[in-house]
Amino acid sequence: MQPTHPSGSASVSARRNGFIALTITYFLFVAACLGSLISENEISMGRNPLENLIQTTQDFIRPSFIDIWFGNPRLEYRSDDGEVLRVENRQEVETRHIEAMARATWTTVRIATLGSLLAALLSLPLALLSARNLGAPKLFSWGAKSLLDISRSIHTLVFGLIIVGIIGLGPTAGILAIAFHSMGTYGKLFAESIESLDMGAIDAVRSVGATPPQVFSHAVLPAVLPQFISSHLYVWEFNIRDSTILGIIGAGGLGQLITEAISLFQWGRLSTVLIVVFVLVASFDMLSRRIRESLL
Amino acid sequence: MSHHCIFAQELICDIQGKRILDVDAFSVKHGERIAIIGHNGAGKSTLVKLLTGFMSCSSGSLNVLDREMNSGLSTNALRLLRKEIGQVLQGLHLVARLTALDNVLIGSLGRLSGWKCLARIYPQEEIQRARQALDNVGLGMKAETRADKLSGGEKQRVAIARMLMQKPRLILADEPTAALDPGAAADICELLVKSARGATLITVVHNPALLPVLAQRVIGLKAGRIVFDVPTTEISEQRLHSLYDLEPLNT
Repeated sequence: MQPTHPSGSASVSARRNGFIALTITYFLFVAACLGSLISENEISMGRNPLENLIQTTQDFIRPSFIDIWFGNPRLEYRSDDGEVLRVENRQEVETRHIEAMARATWTTVRIATLGSLLAALLSLPLALLSARNLGAPKLFSWGAKSLLDISRSIHTLVFGLIIVGIIGLGPTAGILAIAFHSMGTYGKLFAESIESLDMGAIDAVRSVGATPPQVFSHAVLPAVLPQFISSHLYVWEFNIRDSTILGIIGAGGLGQLITEAISLFQWGRLSTVLIVVFVLVASFDMLSRRIRESLL
Repeated sequence: MSHHCIFAQELICDIQGKRILDVDAFSVKHGERIAIIGHNGAGKSTLVKLLTGFMSCSSGSLNVLDREMNSGLSTNALRLLRKEIGQVLQGLHLVARLTALDNVLIGSLGRLSGWKCLARIYPQEEIQRARQALDNVGLGMKAETRADKLSGGEKQRVAIARMLMQKPRLILADEPTAALDPGAAADICELLVKSARGATLITVVHNPALLPVLAQRVIGLKAGRIVFDVPTTEISEQRLHSLYDLEPLNT
């Protein structure tokens, strides 16, 4: 008897050939992307990249908040003939800017928090409908799945632009934009944790004669709640990052300061805002990771 | 109250046009210990599911603890029946994130109601009873350990403690030792028999070596039919061979 399986080895080599073909296709595609951009003369670094880089870096490494302590208390703006037009206390100006930034940070956190919670609540029924193991009617589960896919495929900014057109500028638009996009992410994560439920444990609790609410509180809830909370923290954290950009479309918050700084070429201020965003996101990330680890 | 715990006649169960179970007559007296053996797909688990109403039969009559199972019992009636039936299932089904004690307390849900038990707050006497049950299966010191941190044998002990909390009249054990090594399997079987004292015990097993411990009577199922129903002492090598078709059919 021969220990080899001819059909098996054939399928292995077919799989290997398939993989090689896929790899070649991928590199051909990369070459096509790069080649066409080069032929359209679109791959270039501008006229004097090095000089610009040095200039921008110099502005960036001196964040504006340093002026709160080291700024010129009597900065004089003069006209061309030497007349003093205006005297500015840089320390006072930057202190006011930092206060505005604190308010903007608070707005951003509020947008992310309320948007995430709304998204989680909206996605829950859709997740229940689309989870494969719960056996919802085909039409409903298909509908719920499509809705979640659509919501996930449209970027928060796009939702934001549409909603600003409908209800106007302000944090409400930001909250709704976050909610509509994150709904898709939540729905997928929630459905996955429902699908990973141990149905055997649920049957075991049913088999002692427990009522449906008892089955829910003793078997379903302990299994899915930690995962739900963990998903919620993850998406919430993601949205804190995401909502810093929402100011660009007029939802308020840190994004608005970013837009202002960029349009006025105030790289020092942009630097300050980015530091705040970094600290905010990093500390929230640390906090949520701690909580998620203790839950699992 | 009839003197039969289970009484079945001309019981037929079809799933998707396929005959899974076809039993002419089958009865179990109160307090009896019986074992059901047979190859995979012989209908053993189906029989257990019929007894608890997790499945219903296609025709025939099945009487479990004085309830006629084929008369369309309401979900409430089914719950009341399940309260009296203790189950130990194959595959160690505990709620993974709850402690051993909380898992045992689940066994008392059948007699509890109200919002308090929904928040997993139990009466003091039930907690004491659960600790006692854990002591009885030798796991008193692991009461606060989460179920997913227990070994296979310990999980099955918790499942037995949970079953004891129900104070059941009928105990169904569907391959309670399937996931265990031989030593732990023998321990669990002895524990099961000790715990089942006074109740009726029906066990589905694969390992013939466990039969003398578990049962007074053995029922052999093959392709959905009962091929023998004899005292455990009459179980022979030859009977097991023909039941499991260990020899090729054509020779």
